[in-house]
Amino acid sequence: MTETANQSAKWDAQLRKGTLELAVLAAVAGEEKYGLEILNYLHGFETMVISEGTLYPLLDRLKREGVLNAKWHQEGEVRPRKYYSLTESGLERLHILRARWKRSVVDMESLLADSKSGANNSTDNGKETGKRKG
Amino acid sequence: MSGREQISNYLKSFNRYLASLSSEDAAEVIKEIESHIYDVIDQQEMAGKDADIEGILAGLGAPRVLAENYVNHIQQGTPPPKGFRPLASVTKGLSKTLYWGMLAFGYGTGLALVVLAFANLLLPNGIAFWVEAEGNSVAIGFLSNPILAHRDTTITGLWITPVALVSAYAISLLTYRILALLKRFAIGYQYA
Repeated sequence: MTETANQSAKWDAQLRKGTLELAVLAAVAGEEKYGLEILNYLHGFETMVISEGTLYPLLDRLKREGVLNAKWHQEGEVRPRKYYSLTESGLERLHILRARWKRSVVDMESLLADSKSGANNSTDNGKETGKRKG
Repeated sequence: MSGREQISNYLKSFNRYLASLSSEDAAEVIKEIESHIYDVIDQQEMAGKDADIEGILAGLGAPRVLAENYVNHIQQGTPPPKGFRPLASVTKGLSKTLYWGMLAFGYGTGLALVVLAFANLLLPNGIAFWVEAEGNSVAIGFLSNPILAHRDTTITGLWITPVALVSAYAISLLTYRILALLKRFAIGYQYA
């Protein structure tokens, strides 16, 4: 792995720590999914390649918090699978986290835009941007 | 080792590290991980590949680490104190015995003291402390005939009531605190 790729992977891992919950809520929002389905779905996104060892304990916690519903389903000959879906409070949390995420993106983009336009000599400018609230 | 044996060994080891969970919770977690393993095997076979069982188990992580991830999440989603490890099944059994023992002993003593406090009000001078062997031994009990009690070795009085009530409160509070700690660190009850 090259140095740049390595740093990117580290950055992705750091960022995911805070955002994974939102990603999982979003993943099951449309339709209920079982563990491997969620994993495969997330792996379809470049920065969301998480391990099984991370996903399952998180699903367990979200279920415990009443954010996710979990039900074992068996269809025909297939082994039973545990399907996850959003509860009412899960939907609510998804809305809240989505709003916070969008806010973060806007804030970060402003910060980056400022840094690009050579605002390095004015740190105050950067602070103000950070504090701006919608 | 056959693939099936590898899986079975993995799950057995995983089960041991989940000992701080209740047995139903642990069974549920294991059922899901097992289902995941077979789902991935199916997926790989349907893609025309040989099932890579070692790779699948490696993806889940070492049984101890996977179990820790579950237990860490259960401890309010924050990492537990340094040095914490999922408890082995032996410690779990011990903790349960300790928990119920503490509960019975602590609240039992508290209750006995409350009973003593009220009995002392109903039978003034009927409740006494005996001091024997030069103060090396103390007993509390009912006097069947207060008049016959030895003045030197027997202490009675209304003051026993407030003292007993305060002691009962203190012991119950202490028991409650200890049980809360035991619950949090030793037993997976918060998991229920």
